[in-house]
Order: sequence, then structure tokens, then C-alpha cells
Amino acid sequence: MDRLDGFMKYNRQTAPYRPVSERIHDYNDINTYLVEQDIYKQAARCMDCGIPFCHSLGCPLNNIIPDLNKLVSQGLWEEALRRLENTNMLPEITGRICPALCEAACTLSINNSPVTIKQIELAIIEKGYKEGWVKPIIPKLENNKRIAIIGSGPSGLAAAQVLRMKGYDVTVFEKSFGLGGILRYGIPNYKLEKWVIDRRIELMRKSNIKFETDVNIGEDISYRYLKTRFDAILLTTGVGSPRDLQIPGREAKNIHFALDYLQKSNCFLSNEISLEDSISVENKSVVVIGGGDTGSDCVGIAIRQKAKEVLQIEIMPKPKEWNFSWNPEWPLWPMILRTSSSHEEGAKREWSILTKKFIKEGNKLCGIHCSRLEWIQSGNSSSLKMVEIPGSDFIIEADLVLLALGFVNSEYQKLIEDIKVDRDEKGNIKIYAKYMTSVNGVFAAGDVNTGISLVVKAIFQGRESAKAIDEYLSKI
Amino acid sequence: MKKLENFGLYQKSFEHDSCGVGFVASVNGEESHQIVLDGIEILKNLVHRGALGGDLMTGDGAGILVQIPHEFFVKVTSELGFNIGDKQTYGVGFLFLPKEKNLREKIEGKIEVIVKKEGGNILGWRDVPTRVDCLGDIARKEVPNMRQLFVSFPGFAQQELERKLYILRRRIEIEVSNRAFYIPSLSSLKIVYKGMFVASQFEGFYPDLNDINFSSPFTLVHQRYSTNTFPSWSLAHPFRYIAHNGEVNTLKGNVNHLNARLGTLSSEVFGEDIKKVLPVIIEDGSDSAIFDNVFELLVMAGRSIEHVMMMMIPEAFGNKFHISADKRAFYEYHSAFMEPWDGPAAIVFTDGIKIGAVLDRNGLRPLRYIITKNGKVVLASEMGVLDMPEEEILEKGRLAPGKMFLVDTNERRIKKDNEIKASISRQKPYRRWLEENRIELKGLLQPPGPVKVHSDSLVVRQKAFGYTFEDLNMIIIPMAENAQEPIGSMGDDQALAVLSDHPQLLQRYFKQLFAQVTNPPIDPYRENLVMSLMSFIGREQNLLEETPKHCHQLKLAHPILTNEDMIKLINFTEYNFKTCVVQAIFNTNNCINLEKAIEDLCINVEMKVDEGYSIVVISDKDIDKEHIPIPALLATSAVSSYLVEKGKRHLVGLIIQSGEVKEVMDYAVLIGYGASAVNPYLVFETIANLKEEKNLFKDKKLEVIIDNYITAVKKGLLKIMSKMGVSTIRSYKTAQLFEAVGLNEDFVNKYFKGTPSRIGGIGLDIIEKETLIRHGTAYNDNNPSQILESGGKYHYRVSSEKHLFVPEAIVALQKAVRSGDYFLYKEYSQLINNQNHHLCTLRSIFTFKNKKSIPLEEVENIEAIMKRFTTSAMSFGSISKEAHETMAIAMNRIGASSNSGEGGEDEERYNLLANGDNRTSMVKQVASARFGVTSHYLTNAREIQIKMAQGAKPGEGGQLPGHKVNKIIAKVRYSTPGVMLISPPPHHDIYSIEDLAQLIFDLKNANPKARISVKLVSEVGVGTIAAGVAKGKADTILISGGDGGTGASPLSSIKHVGIPWEIGLAETQQTLILNNLRNRVRLQVDGQLRTGRDVVIGALLGAEEFGFGTVSLVTLGCVLMRKCHMNTCLMGIATQDEILRRNFKGQPDHLINFMRFIAQEVREIMAEMGFRNFNEMVGQQDRIEFNKEIKHWKAKNLDLTKIFMKPRVKKGEVYFCNGNQENNFTSFIDNELIKQAVDVLEGRKENIKLFTPIKNNNRSVGAKLSYEVSKRFASKGLKDNNIYCRFKGVAGESFAAFLAHGITFELEGDANNFLGKGLSGGRIILYPPKDFISKSHNNIITGNVNLFGATSGEVFIGGMAGERFAVRNSGATAVVEGLGDHGCEYMTGGCVIILGSTGVNFAAGMSGGIAYVLDIDQLFDTRCNLEMVELESLASQRDIKFVYQMIKKHIVYTDSPYAKMIIDNWVEMLPKFVKVYPIDYRKAIERIREEEKAKESEVLTITEEVY
Repeated sequence: MDRLDGFMKYNRQTAPYRPVSERIHDYNDINTYLVEQDIYKQAARCMDCGIPFCHSLGCPLNNIIPDLNKLVSQGLWEEALRRLENTNMLPEITGRICPALCEAACTLSINNSPVTIKQIELAIIEKGYKEGWVKPIIPKLENNKRIAIIGSGPSGLAAAQVLRMKGYDVTVFEKSFGLGGILRYGIPNYKLEKWVIDRRIELMRKSNIKFETDVNIGEDISYRYLKTRFDAILLTTGVGSPRDLQIPGREAKNIHFALDYLQKSNCFLSNEISLEDSISVENKSVVVIGGGDTGSDCVGIAIRQKAKEVLQIEIMPKPKEWNFSWNPEWPLWPMILRTSSSHEEGAKREWSILTKKFIKEGNKLCGIHCSRLEWIQSGNSSSLKMVEIPGSDFIIEADLVLLALGFVNSEYQKLIEDIKVDRDEKGNIKIYAKYMTSVNGVFAAGDVNTGISLVVKAIFQGRESAKAIDEYLSKI
Repeated sequence: MKKLENFGLYQKSFEHDSCGVGFVASVNGEESHQIVLDGIEILKNLVHRGALGGDLMTGDGAGILVQIPHEFFVKVTSELGFNIGDKQTYGVGFLFLPKEKNLREKIEGKIEVIVKKEGGNILGWRDVPTRVDCLGDIARKEVPNMRQLFVSFPGFAQQELERKLYILRRRIEIEVSNRAFYIPSLSSLKIVYKGMFVASQFEGFYPDLNDINFSSPFTLVHQRYSTNTFPSWSLAHPFRYIAHNGEVNTLKGNVNHLNARLGTLSSEVFGEDIKKVLPVIIEDGSDSAIFDNVFELLVMAGRSIEHVMMMMIPEAFGNKFHISADKRAFYEYHSAFMEPWDGPAAIVFTDGIKIGAVLDRNGLRPLRYIITKNGKVVLASEMGVLDMPEEEILEKGRLAPGKMFLVDTNERRIKKDNEIKASISRQKPYRRWLEENRIELKGLLQPPGPVKVHSDSLVVRQKAFGYTFEDLNMIIIPMAENAQEPIGSMGDDQALAVLSDHPQLLQRYFKQLFAQVTNPPIDPYRENLVMSLMSFIGREQNLLEETPKHCHQLKLAHPILTNEDMIKLINFTEYNFKTCVVQAIFNTNNCINLEKAIEDLCINVEMKVDEGYSIVVISDKDIDKEHIPIPALLATSAVSSYLVEKGKRHLVGLIIQSGEVKEVMDYAVLIGYGASAVNPYLVFETIANLKEEKNLFKDKKLEVIIDNYITAVKKGLLKIMSKMGVSTIRSYKTAQLFEAVGLNEDFVNKYFKGTPSRIGGIGLDIIEKETLIRHGTAYNDNNPSQILESGGKYHYRVSSEKHLFVPEAIVALQKAVRSGDYFLYKEYSQLINNQNHHLCTLRSIFTFKNKKSIPLEEVENIEAIMKRFTTSAMSFGSISKEAHETMAIAMNRIGASSNSGEGGEDEERYNLLANGDNRTSMVKQVASARFGVTSHYLTNAREIQIKMAQGAKPGEGGQLPGHKVNKIIAKVRYSTPGVMLISPPPHHDIYSIEDLAQLIFDLKNANPKARISVKLVSEVGVGTIAAGVAKGKADTILISGGDGGTGASPLSSIKHVGIPWEIGLAETQQTLILNNLRNRVRLQVDGQLRTGRDVVIGALLGAEEFGFGTVSLVTLGCVLMRKCHMNTCLMGIATQDEILRRNFKGQPDHLINFMRFIAQEVREIMAEMGFRNFNEMVGQQDRIEFNKEIKHWKAKNLDLTKIFMKPRVKKGEVYFCNGNQENNFTSFIDNELIKQAVDVLEGRKENIKLFTPIKNNNRSVGAKLSYEVSKRFASKGLKDNNIYCRFKGVAGESFAAFLAHGITFELEGDANNFLGKGLSGGRIILYPPKDFISKSHNNIITGNVNLFGATSGEVFIGGMAGERFAVRNSGATAVVEGLGDHGCEYMTGGCVIILGSTGVNFAAGMSGGIAYVLDIDQLFDTRCNLEMVELESLASQRDIKFVYQMIKKHIVYTDSPYAKMIIDNWVEMLPKFVKVYPIDYRKAIERIREEEKAKESEVLTITEEVY
């Protein structure tokens, strides 16, 4: 690939999803995969830019994407794996579910179509597993210092691995039965099959990372105890408080938070709970309120649960439609209409809709009172102001509503109370330089610190907080 | 004499000089006064090769050297009342003494004592009469008191007397050390009269010279052109033995080597007295003076002057030269103990009896001679310096490269090169000595075998030596794969080493020096026959003797040793030649720090030398967790300079075995600071690992890729040497051709003495810290990752090296210029200027002081400020038509300028667009290849810029591969689509400062309205070069930063050559002010300029104009992919690809917005500082200071005071340009011709015939006339012969330059260099005077570098031309009767017919055009460079007919008897013709013919001239 003109020879090629008609009947992975030969070509489209925007402005992990592409195009998969692992502790996760900010920032996104960075990443790690190159961590030197990580989501898992590599004795505490946090309980199987997480956990166990599940720190084990047993504590508890919609009729049955719905669906599939304890939408008219990714995940699950119909509504206006392969807002993540795999599977979507009231029959939901909105430029700022269109009120029939309106602050936990860490006005735990909270020796990373965000950003925080912990403990 | 003061960044040691030289001699040794007068006449006729100082009166120096005029001295001494005795039995000293009487008498008293101590008698003193009133102010102030001293040494005669006088002079020089005291000469044979004159002032100043008794058999003369304007009386030439037109590029190495050799100096003829002459070299002197010192020593010790000259300036003797085995042996033998004093040189030399001349191996200075029937020889830089009746002349010749010429007045005959060298080469059995003593290890330098890889520790060791993944991918793999240095593009915006947050290898603090203006770089590829990497290493013997043992050393073909070579070498013990290894590592656990470790190392090596080892290997192979390597460069330089100091350096060869060595720069610094050879063991291990474990280099064998890597290093070394004009590794070694940036004085003085380092910086403690960090990180047990860091030097990586252009800045800037939002621009400029977090450049650590803010409204407006802006030179070819024209339109709209770059310009662009937009580049560049430089092109310029160097690759050429030369590019470059285009490293018409002055003169004539600008690159001494350029009458000088951009350049050049503009600009400003030259020349600056703050800093440091390169492209869409060299620019900017070009989205408004933003930001800062108009700000260096808030661990050590020193000017004078160059440019003859041809020019008359006599000081004749034609008739010119001019006499340089179509110049007589330069359609006819008796094809009728860059026209030369005929010809047709070396070099089109002999290296780099050579002796193929051409006989009727007709035409025009003879014997002659046909060109021509055939087969007619 010394000519670096692959982008002129090959078009961008991604593997399609399985056909809708097939995939909606199961919860299995919806993706298909390119063969190795095609991956080489895709990697050869990388121009190895003098300023790789993918790496610097795109990827929150700062994966050194051009190096990976180069190695893959040369067929040096193992070396590529080593370099990928150096920055990304969970590439098999990001390779599946990351929105790929890197591709939006790829220089080819200016006027061509980006390198399929995410697909290449996944190919590297999966080949690594297949060839047995992904191995348990064996640190060069054990340093006998103990770290407690609270929460086994992406941040916690990333931090655990980095710390283990540096020779720490790491224990991960998880209040749920299964490990992986949002990965296990928030993301539908068809996007991320759970064996992927199990495989990583298994590897981590072999690396002598300890996992304690079903333990709620602060309740089952006290902070005081933890403090005496560990040299440092890292909080990666994520965020758990969904934003609610306090309008009349909210108390009706059949109004659920999206995350509860997703979680129960996953738990049911993994036989953690019974059908009765889960939320089934079979044959129901489902309305998902909120146009984001969580909402879209709900759509996919609802369709698989054979809902009668699924409607997703959004208060914000419909983003601009964009049918080109380049990014109009390069190198930023563009505000354009996105159609997820779930939407393709048969959901309707509407925008600029204000939800005013839930209509009940008894305490059973039967519809939603809505109106339409117009968004207008307010003054000279670029922000929009919403104005209700007079007389546009209408009613949507609904048997079940899922609220996917985002999250407000980190879940209240006794632990955090006990530790008495500073929190910001949104309720997130404040960190000061180098990931330490207001309490010496207690660190925080991931959503618990930033509020709800991307998995890839959580991994970044996990990685960096681990380095900070190492630095902190090396100085003591 | 005035003390040459150092001020700010200016240092007197930076000065260069150059000039005109010559001699006149009577072969039979007859003394006459006429010979002296002739000499003075020659000087006067060379006056245009000299220069004037700031007062426009003071010359840079002139002088003569004659045999002692005995009769004259008898007369004048007897008048004074003393008797000097017989001829050549006494010594005469010419002394410059201080003016103060007391001091003078004290010195004279001291001298008298010394004379007595040496056993001599004072015969008397004489005041030399002088007339100071004819001098310029500067010279008059400094004029010394001049006296002559007469001494005798009873019992001493001839050589012994001369030696005695030498010892006496050395003692006086040593014991009377006074700056105002100097002895031009003290000899019994010869005397020097010289001073700070221009030639015309000379005879008036010394009345002695007009005395009829003042006679000599020869006069050696010299007219000096110095870059500085503090010329000193003592530095005028001639010296005691030589006068030199040239420059010793390797001086520091030569001096270092020589000083070491002094330790073992002994001589039978001197005996104990040898100590009295030590030190031989007076280091204060100029390069020429030092050369003279050493020359003198070697002659005094018993060698003849010819012999010494052959030792010091050997000709090239590589295998490509067909020379005698004895001569080759002579040179090889001597190279074991004397390295060449390398550089361009025309030297005339004499011992008082013999007088001779020699040229450097590359023939970079001209020397022409004539020999008359009655035995007079006139030799000078030019023809026509002495009027001579033609019928008297026996022979007209020129010195060829490396050749010598001698007049022996004792033997009364002329000796030419072959005779001289044959007899010297056979005076001792050098060949046998060599064969018996030289060591060439069998198997050494054979293809390398398997390499042992210790893969478990490989990555750790790589890390310890600073390897990154980027180094593997961008440097090592490409070198091993392609046997080439890797290419990159755009500039270097990485933080300076001293500002980086990461540990840097020591060599990152060094920058390579390069040649600009005062001497030319060499083309290491096309002219590699003059270059050599061969060297001898081992123990040197006494310099003053010659024994077989002298060559008992190891001969290396090149300095890179494989691991196997090392094993063989270490195990080799025969013939008393031993090698040992000393480890350069240290262990901090033993409380040894780096300083102590170096001390120990030096002592260890010295011990080994004392034990008799011939070679010491300094190795860091034994590193491990505890053992830290001493930085290889530090180890090398410390040991080498330690040994020099101890006088033992020459007793041992140093081989550096280091893991640190990777890229070419690493080798260059090691060799430059003393390594004889280098073993990069870790590179070999790395390559083997990549091949064997990573499976790279699939189908190539390991030995092939290692060999490739070595080849790449060899090429790279040749390139680095050649950019400094150095041709042999022997003289590059220890020449220290580097400048340090960011190292403090103590450190440099201790380990790198003599290396310029002007802004202070870090010392040994930080170097040690950086080494320890690197080592600590590598061997950190806590760091599990077994991979190399990604890198970040070349490509941006988060949390690695800082770069000036961060991604956020690019995004912000593009948004700002597209929306026209100044606030967004400010976001951008904040990102760039943020000084506390983003230290990349020197200016980032500056801050403004003495602010006196004023309201913004009072500041000069945006429009006025924008006029000072320009887009930096980018050629059409490196960037697309769309991008190029957008920039021109934008800059023209705001009344600023864009720069054409070196690729010519499509005439189409001179027409306005419908909307009134103008696509013309107001600045037209004239670069080394002269692509598209025609009379018409120059006529359409507002400013013409001579590109001497480019920031990204100063001292280098370039090439545009054939596949990039599409139709339109070929059109504007006057070449053929598909044929590769080469830009040579030097301008072949600029080998010296006087040549540059000549080119400026040419261009001023070619467009009298245009400003002439000269582009230089920042390096140490650029200020003095700029002063020389100002004296050469340039209007603008551009100082480019070494970090500037490029479309394609070797990565090592982008990174390691040239220094920040802040230093170069400040130095230039200071030097120009000190020399009183600033007010007549404008200063421009460019190099990674980004923001208004940068502009203000540039202005305060002295610039009044500003160039923006990279950033302009960013406004038009560039996102720094750095792929300009690949033709794959996604943004449609740096590409010629049709599809990619459609991606171009830049608009003129984007660039205009940017310029407005910059101007606005400038205004804001001006308001803050209190400047109302821009000029007030220029040169206020003292308004900047070091930002004390910066606490960066390395940067805080910098000392920038020299940059901020503002020289004082006289009251009323200013710091910016408020005047003009004195304009005496227009050639007198052209004005006459234009006047007489006015009717034709105005279209009132069809044609006209004119006649005028011509002399050698009528230069550039025809250029201005052509301007008048091009102005009116554009590129098509007039009709054939519409203006026909006949000339008689000797034409000055650049005769018929840029001659436009329709003009014919016929010259009866001789021409000098640069005939037909840039010929643009005109016709030139040249033939010998009718009364010249010799055969035309045996005599030189015109000088060097004729038809350089000619684009069309016809030339008929009835005689031989000199070197480099038709260099870069792209369209002219010429007939010539013979020529010198390097004929038709880089030719891309046109046709040359040569009816006589050619020199060597014919057709080097010839990618297009055709040459037909009459190969009488059938040896032409041995002289032709066959790399790019095929030779065939004339087979096609088309060829035969064409050649025949051209020769017939030649006869018609020149009446050449020789040509007639050829036609008369056509049947016999025809088979001897050879057609030289470039391979690519043939393919391109065939393809074009095919296309044409396909297109218009119906109108297919074979045309006679397809070229």
C-alpha cells in the first residue's frame, strides 16, 4: 500500500444487515461480515493523512486508526491487534456498537465516503480471537496493590484491564447478577450478542481479575470496609435515572422507561427472569417517545416481540435528509436524519410532536394527546424556539408507551452518600484533574462522571482513570 | 584596520567572497613594465565582477602579485641611502602597520629584534607612497600605514632564503599580535600590492606601479566581491601564493584535520624550526587565507607548487574517468593523508618563478586563456580582458574541470595539464606503494549475510534508541524497499526540539548547512562522477613526508559497515593493523553521570590510540537495563575533538557502532563530527525482524533489502554533502557542516566547538535527562506494551509531538474563511498563538514589550496592510490549475501578489477574465530549471524572484516524474508530455555571488520595470549572504524559514535543513543595517506564517512583506494530508488528476477573507503596541522579549537576546526600505539598439540592420531589446530577421540573453559565459574574427553554460564552447563545433548538433530533445552519460536530411572551413554521426505521433522539424 491511492481504486463497501424478513424473527446479530480480501481493500482506502482527523477529532479513544489500516492492508493482523489493544480495551464491543465518530471525521468524508474504520476494527479483534492472539494479561511485575472497581460497565472493564496490565490486584464489584452493565442490560442482543461480553469476561478472569457480582456496595459491603481493603477505589457505576415525562396520565399502566424495557427483554432472553416479569408488547400498538438511539433499540425489540405497530415520535424537528456518502458537517458528527436497522424493520416515525397528555381507560393507557410544533429561529442566535401550531392537536392510539427521553443524573446510591464526594449540579460525580474525586484515593470514570454518553467515551474514561490511579499509587 | 565586530546574530566568520581572477605572463620570463600595466588593465576589465560597499565607493578589495621588481627597488632604496644587493638575495616585506606612531614604532622595533634573532640583517625601511584621496570613505578610514622592509640573510639563497623568510614572517606574526598589523608578503621572489579598492582606484593609489622600472615577468591579479561590507585590508587577495575565486566549503574539517596533524609534523628541511611556524593556520583569516597558509607550509617543506595543488585540489579520479593509472594512484595515495579542500575554485598561484591556474573538480568557476605568438599568456575569469590583435593569437582555450595550466618562466614554456600531472604522478612509485600497503579486507563490503535478531529484547532496545512505529514505516521500510530516501511533502510544523515535551535524540538539535549563492550545490545524481564516498581510515603519517607507510590504511568504498564487516574487521590483525572496541555506555547505579562517562570514554580511546590501535570502534551494543548508551553523536564528537586537541586524531580511525542510527541525518552528523564509518547494527536487526517475523518485503532476499537500505543511505549522504557543495566524504568528515538550534554555549564549546549555536538552550544535564527518560521508558517493567510508540514527527498523533497546525485549528480556519466570520478566525488564531500550551516555534516564546496602546482607528487600514502579503511560491504542476489560478485571482483582487512558482505560466492567463479578474501571477519565479522562463514571461511580471533555495529542501533539485507531465504542464514548461522534468540543485548560471549579480543584471534588462527579488533560506550567515545580494542590486530579499513547504522533498530534508526564520531574518536585518544597505532593499519573510501575530513579529524583526504558503492552501480546502507528492490530493489542490481536481472547492473569497483577517489582527496588535503605520514597526527588534512566564523545562534555557538586538542607525535614517537600488542597469548598447530599431518596434518599418562594436563589459546585450519586442508582440515576437544586429569584438556575459523571436545577433569575435541564456526565439550567429589564424574547432570561442534554459531559437557557433552547453535547453536548435563537459545536461527539448569533441558526462539527466554528435574517434559513448539516453546512428532520411541542412546553414552563417570540410566529405562523415536520443522522449514522441496519426490521418504530412 505504498501508493496510498486505494480510495481511487476501491469503493467503500460495508457488509449489509441480514434481510429484514429474516432478522425480525430472532434476536440474533443482524450483521453480516466481509471476507478478509474485501477488508484489505477497505483498509487500503485509508490515505494515511498527515493529520488523521479520525484519530484526533473523531475517535474518543484516539485509536491510531491509520496505523491499524496500514497494518491490515499489509496483512499484518497480529501487529494491528497489538496496536488496537493498546488504546482500546474492548474493540469487539466498539467494533459492533460504536456510532463511529471516526468515520464522520475521516478525511474521505469531506467529499468521498469514509474508510470503514469500524468494520476493520471488528475484523482485527475477531481475527485475533480466532487465531488465539487475544490472550489473558500477564503483567511483568505484580505490585500487590489492590484496586476496587465498582460497576462492570464499559468503563469498569476497561479500567480493570489497564490496571491489571500494570500489575495491580483488581476486583470488580457488580450489583447485578450478570457482568457488563449497559452492555449486557441496555443493548439489544441483535446488536450485541452476549457471548461477546462473556468471552471478554472469561479472558479477564484468566488474567486474575476478580469479579464479585450481586454485590451492592454501600449496602452489602460498606464503603468503610472497602477503604480498608483496597488502595484505591474507582467508581464506574454509570447513570441510572431516566428522564421522566411528567404530564397528565403519567400514572397509567403500560408506560415504561425504555431502559427498563430493554433490560427486562435482555434478562428474559438470558433466562434471568420469567416472561411474566418482563414487558411484552406482542400485538400491542407501541409508541416510543424519544427519537434517540435508545428509542430506536426499543423499536427493534418491539418489532421482534411482534408488536401490532410501532410508532416513534420526537419533539425536535426532523433532521435534514442526507443521501450522500460524505459528511456535510465534517469533521463533526452531522445532524442528519439517520435510519437505524430497527427503523428499516417497519416502524413509523414522526417529528415535531409535543406530547401533552396520556389518555387512559381506567388506569390502562389507550392513547396520547399530542400536538404539532413549529420550530423557529429565536432572535439572532442559532438555537430554535418551539411554537405549538394552533389547532394541530391530535390523538395517537397506543397500548403501550416507552419513554426514551434520556437520563438526568446518576442514580442515587447509598455508596455515594457514604463517600461524600462532590457532585455537580446535574448530580454527576465531580472529578478533579486526573480522575480523582474530592475524596483522596477515590476515582470516578464513565457516565457517573460525565452523565449519559457513548460507550466508547466510557472506555476512554476507564482507560485514562486507570492510568491516573497508577500514577497516583506510584507516587505514594 | 577596522575590527570586524560581531553584533547580534552577525559574525564576521560568516563572510564569503568571490570574484574575478587572472594573470598575464611572459612565457620567456622577460620582465617588463608592460606586463604590470596589462595586469592592471585586466583588473579594470574585471571590475563588474567586484562589488561596492554601502558608500558606493569602497571596493571589496583588489590586488596584484608580481615578481620582485629588482631594478625599481634598487632605484628607490638607493635614493633612501641603502643598498639591497643582487637580485633575489634579499627579502622584501610589505607591511600594513597601525597608524598610531608609537604603536607602529614599537612594532617595528620588535620586528628588528626578531630579524636579528633569526640571524638576519635589516637593510632598510621604505614608506610606500600612497594616495588615499582616491578611496571611498570606508576604505579611507581604515587605510593602514604601509611600509616595506628589506632584509638579508647572509649565507641563505633561493629555497633556503625563502624558507628563512617564511620562518621570520611566522615569528613576527606570532609575536606581534596586533589587529592592525599584517604582512601581505615577505619574500625574495615576489611581492603583493593590494588593498580595499575597486580596480579603477588601484593604480592611482600605489604610484609605485606607474614607475617605468616597476617590471615583472608576470602579474597575478584579483578583484574581490565580498558578501559583507566591512572588507578588510588584510583579506584582499592575492595572498602569498594564491588568489582564489571560490570558496572552501569544507574549511572546518580541513582545519581540524590539519591541526591534528601538526602533532606529528616533522621535516628534514625545517628541522627544529618547524616549531616556530606553528600553528600554521591563522584561524581568523578567510578560507582563502587559510588555504594559502597550508599551501605555503607544504611548499616550504619541499613539494613543488603543482604537487601541492594536486594534493589540495585533486581532480575527480573515479572509475568513470579515463585517466592514467599512475595519476589515479597519486590521488588515491595522497587521499590517505590529505582530504580535498573542497568547493568551487578558480585558483591562480605562483612561487615567483612558475605561475599557474587550476579549477576545482567540477569546473564551477570560469577561466579562459589566450596564448600569443610572441609568448604572452593572458588568463582570466573572462575573455576580452586585454585587447589583443587577433592575428597575434595562437590559441584560445579554457581550463576544464580539475585541470591545471602552468607557465614556467625558468624553463620558458607552457605546461598543460597532462604534462604537469604525468611528471608529478611519476616522481615516486605511488602506484606500487599503494598496491603493497593499502588494506582492503577480502569480503568486506560484500553482500551482507544473515543477521542475528534478538527478538525478545528487540522492541525494548528500539525504544531505548528512540525508534517509533513511524520510523519503521516512513523511514526504514521505504529505504529497504526502494533503495531511496523516502519522500514527503508540505513543511515541517513539528515543535522545535528544544520546545518539545518529549525527549529528543541529540541530532534533532542540529540542522544541516547548505550552499546558497556564494557556492553552488552539486547534483549528486547527474554529476555523481565528481563525487566520492571512498575514504582511507587508520593511522596517518607525517604530512610533510612521503613514504610507502603513508598509505598503510584501510580503504573503504563507503562508510556504512555491515555487522559482518565489523566481525571481520575486529578479527583482522595482520600487518600491524589492529582494531578494538570501546563501549560508550554508562551505569547510573555506579554514580557515574553522563559527563564522567564521556570523560572516561575519551581517555579509554586515547589509551587505545597510544597502544597502537589503528581503528577504535565506539559501540553502544552492550546496553541493558542498567547500562545506558551515551548519545552516539555526543560520543563521536567528544572523542574526536578530544583527540584533535591532543594532536592524535589522525592516528586513528573511529567507527561508530550505534543503535541510534536510523535515518540519513544520523549518519551525516556522525561523519560530520568525526566518524570514519558507521555500523547501524540495530537497523539491520530491525530489517531482519521485519522480514523474518513480520513477513514484509515478500519476494526480496534479506541481503537485497539490507543492500537497498545501505544504498539509500549512500544516496542520502551524497545528497547531504552535495547540498553544501562538498564532493568527497573525506572532506565532509569533521567538517561540522551543521548549525545547532537550542544548545547552550558551554555545551557546544565543550563538545561541538566551532558549531554555530546562537540562541543558547539546553546543556548536558538535559541531554542526560532525555537519554534517561528514553531508557527508563523502554526498560520500564511496569509498562507492559511490547509495541513501539506510534510516532508523531511526520504525521500528527494525539499526545505525541506538538505540531503548529492542530486539527481543531484547520477546522476553525476553514469555517472562518468560508463564513467570513472574524470571531471564528480569532478562535483559530487563539489555537495557533496560545503560547502557554502550544510552544512550537521560536516566536511562540516571544512577547511584546513597551506597549503604548492607541485607538484602533488611528492604525493604517486593512487594504494598505494586505498589499504587503503574497502567497508563497507554488508551481503550477505541484498544484492544480484551479488552485493556482484561484490564488492569483484572490491576491490580484486585493492588490497583493501571488507567486508563479517555478513552473512557468500559461500565456492565456495574461488575458483578463470577463468579470475583470486577473489570473496573472504578479511574482514570477526564476528557478534552477528555468521552466517556461521566456522574454514574454518575464515581461509580464511585476516582480521576478530568483529562487536560490527553498525552505523544505535548500540546496536540492527536484524532479517531476513523466506521468505527472500532462499536456498543459508540458506546454507551460516548454517540454513534452510524459517526459520527466528535472530541476537541478544549482542554477547553472549562478556558481558565485558575482554570477547572481549577473543574473540580476540580466533580469533587470529583461524587464526594466520589475523588481528583482532573491529567495534565500534561513541558516547561519544568511545575513552576510543577503548583504552580498543587496550589493548585487536585488530589490527584495526573501528570507524563508527552513520549515517551509514543498510539493515533494526527501523527508530528511524537510526535517533537518534550514533554521527558523526568526533567526535568519533578525540576522539579515542586523547585517544590512550594519552595512548601511537596508534602506535600498526590501525584506520579505515566509515559512509557516499563520496569524497576525506572526506578521507583527516578522515586521519587528525586520520584514516588510509576508508570504503565506501552507495556510493559503488550507483556506482553499487543504487538510494537511501531506500527500502532495503522490498526486492523490483529495481536495483537488496538489494533484493533476482530472477527477480529483473536480473536488476543488476553494474560492478567491476564502483567501481574501483570510488576508483581511490577518490584516485586521495585525492592526489590533499595532494599536496595542502603539504603531500607527506599518513601517514604524519594521525592524524594532527591541520591542520583543522572551516571555518569562514560560517555564518549559527546555525552553526556559534559551537566550534570545541576540535576536532582539537592534543596531543603531545614524540620525534620520530608517529601519526599512525607503529608497531604491542605484539603477545603472540598462545596457548602453541595448538603449542604442532600441533607439535605432524604434521604427520596427512601432510597426512603421518591416526590418532593419544594425552594427556595433562590443566589449566584455557590455553585458546582457539583447535582453532589453527583447523586452521591447515581447511587450508589443507577445511570445510570437517579430518575423524572422526583422531586427538584424551585427557585432564585432568580445561580448560580455549573457550575450543575447532571452533574445526574442525575430531578432538575429551576429557576432564576429568571442563570447563569454551564458551566451543565449533563456533564448526565446531569436537567432545567434558567432564566428571567429576573420583575421584569427587558428582552426575554429580547436579553439574556445564562447564560455560556459551557453543556451541555459533556452526555449526556442537557433544558434550557430563557429568554434568550441565551454562546459555545460545547452543545459536545460527545451527548444532551441544549435550547431557548435565542439564543447566541454556536461553538454546537453538536463535537456528536455530542442536539438544540438556537435561537429567536434565533447567532454565527459554528456547528456546527463537529458530527458528530452535530440543531439547529433560527430564522433570522429568513436569514443563518444565513453564520455556520454548513458543513464537516460540511447545512442544510435543516423538511419532515417529525416535525420540525415535535417543534419545535413543544418550544417549547410551553419556554413552560410559562419563560413566555417571545418563545417565545409564535413560537407565536402559527407559520405565518409555521415556514418560517424551519433544520434543521442533520450529513452522517455522517444516514447513520448512516438506516442504523440500515434495520437496525431489517429486524429488527423487525412492531413498526415511528415514535417521536417518535429522538435
